[in-house]
Amino acid sequence: MSDLMLKLRNLKVVFPAGEGVIRAVEGIDLDIAKGECVALVGESGCGKSVTSLAIMKLLNSPPALVRVDELKLDDEELKDYSDGKMQELRGQQLSMIFQDAMTALNPVMTIGRQIDEIYIRHNNLSRKEARKLTVKALDLVGVPEAKSRANSFPHQLSGGMRQRVLIAMAFACMPKLIIADEPTTALDVTIQAQVLNVLSDMQKKHNVSLLLITHDLSVVANMADTIYVMYAGKIVEKAIKRDLFLKPRHPYTEGLLGSVPRLSDEHHHFIQIPDAVPHPMFKPTGCYFHPRCSYCTDKCKESMPPLAKDVGGREYRCWHPLNLGGGAKDGK
Amino acid sequence: MKKSYLIKRIIYAFFIFLIVMTLNFFIPRIGVVDPAERYYPPQGNMTEIEYEIIKQFTREQYGFDVSNFQQYLNYVSGLFQGDLGTSFRSGNPKVSQLIGERLPWTLVLSVTNLLISLFIGLIIGTIAAWKRGRWQDTTLLNLSTISMALPAFFIALILSFYFGFELEWFPAYTNPNMVAQFDWSWEAIRVVMYNAALPIVSMSIGGIIGYGQGTRNAVIAVTNEDFILTARAKGLSRNQVIFKHTLRNAMLPIVTSLGMSISGLIGGAVIIEQIFNWNGMGTLFLEANNTNDYPLMMGIMLFMSAFAIVANLVTELFYSLLDPRVTVGERR
Repeated sequence: MSDLMLKLRNLKVVFPAGEGVIRAVEGIDLDIAKGECVALVGESGCGKSVTSLAIMKLLNSPPALVRVDELKLDDEELKDYSDGKMQELRGQQLSMIFQDAMTALNPVMTIGRQIDEIYIRHNNLSRKEARKLTVKALDLVGVPEAKSRANSFPHQLSGGMRQRVLIAMAFACMPKLIIADEPTTALDVTIQAQVLNVLSDMQKKHNVSLLLITHDLSVVANMADTIYVMYAGKIVEKAIKRDLFLKPRHPYTEGLLGSVPRLSDEHHHFIQIPDAVPHPMFKPTGCYFHPRCSYCTDKCKESMPPLAKDVGGREYRCWHPLNLGGGAKDGK
Repeated sequence: MKKSYLIKRIIYAFFIFLIVMTLNFFIPRIGVVDPAERYYPPQGNMTEIEYEIIKQFTREQYGFDVSNFQQYLNYVSGLFQGDLGTSFRSGNPKVSQLIGERLPWTLVLSVTNLLISLFIGLIIGTIAAWKRGRWQDTTLLNLSTISMALPAFFIALILSFYFGFELEWFPAYTNPNMVAQFDWSWEAIRVVMYNAALPIVSMSIGGIIGYGQGTRNAVIAVTNEDFILTARAKGLSRNQVIFKHTLRNAMLPIVTSLGMSISGLIGGAVIIEQIFNWNGMGTLFLEANNTNDYPLMMGIMLFMSAFAIVANLVTELFYSLLDPRVTVGERR
């Protein structure tokens, strides 16, 4: 037994598109320890959501072509599991929280029945017994008057309540791993904080592993233990939270951190990253980030840097890493 | 809340009926010089004075001797006593009686057609959506392109020529004795089915393909919704996802088009009835039109409008039962 809840090795996802192919995910490795919260950070279009769906094995194939060397959930190899076998696992050992709770809930079904389904499916309960557990689950995530709220339809609830319902669904069977795909992006800031607190409390109380997918570093700062930064389908940096925030190695990470406003530093200017993520069908040669990088050299334009390993499990993919110590290479 | 919605819809429908009734009364009177003249064209051997007397007599007999407004009041008060007016044809039968005689024969065609179209259309639409992109789906798509260019009356002509005249499998013309001799015996019912076969088939080919394509599109649209992904992430089996989540939501647009088909049940088959010499509402309307029988035309128009209004009302109420988001003007 290892203490890894999720061990993902060399995940590749490709979508055939017209005359070319879209390489959405290009061989990423991901480790999540038991009870750990790991964040996967990146701009939209970098392959975060595809990664999460690939772990759930929810990508429709065709069109998606998925290859993975290892996909282990608590030492159980899932990569060759049939869809029927995955159905048993989904919702029970592996579950997911989606981004927009308005569209992620069935509009013509009460929220209670949508949660009941999970218990009926996985615990073989009658509808009545399932409802008891549903009310309990809604209660746990702080839905007031859970018993009567269970009979509401999604559109009758506020955005925050709907997101709590999704969290209750994900935690329904106390799975081993929960993947939260941008769980708070669709919410107001104040509600975001509440929902994140609920999510964080639930995760710690029940010691569930959490893969948090987001583009919002302030969310990461509050919750994550380890952070993976993803760019154009590749992991460009991995570090524990403190290291990443204080001494980012990759210029892209530095740029992301620079985009977060800070009150403490009055002279702070936003370090903005010019342009946008390259189109997944037309990725640049060499390091994918080089057209947007201010440290770019000829070497960067020619070849993709390997994933370099550093002390404390840090990893980065850059020819000119920052903050290596010694002062020589510290940011310009 | 539910009750006030119902009352609101009923009042609204009634209001529309009043408008239709008024238009229905005044439109035939625009531009008509003298209905008596239309009813009783001048004969060669009549003197001016004789003709005047006859016209005056006609006006008095049918109530055209008072002002338009007074006629309108008489018409409305008649309507609310269930009197649709008196036909010009010999014997002066009541319009409601004529409609009552013809309506069942039209319904035999149109209701059977609707049931067949809906039932088979739903099945092949679901199959096409399930086998998206395979031959089942592309066949349906090609058929629907072809059927767009082939109106029902054209199919009717082909069928009546080939199966009626050439092969003589089915009657190309309806037996006129069918109506008079109908006595609810099995033999009489068999004769009706035999005579109705070609008209029903020619009407339902387009209907089946239309409902099939509509169902296919609705099912595919719902399949791409986020909540279907949620349902799969909960670990539900494929059948559970389809029957509990997909089809229920895909029903919504189908109910809308079903409502429109129902409002067309009475008047939708004028040409088909002509081709097969079928004595239904369409033939009755043509007869009224050809003989300038205004009371009959007005009566049929009003009856069809009233039927459409009621059908829409029922559809809307049914829709609000299916989709909880539609209540008292609160749409999201």
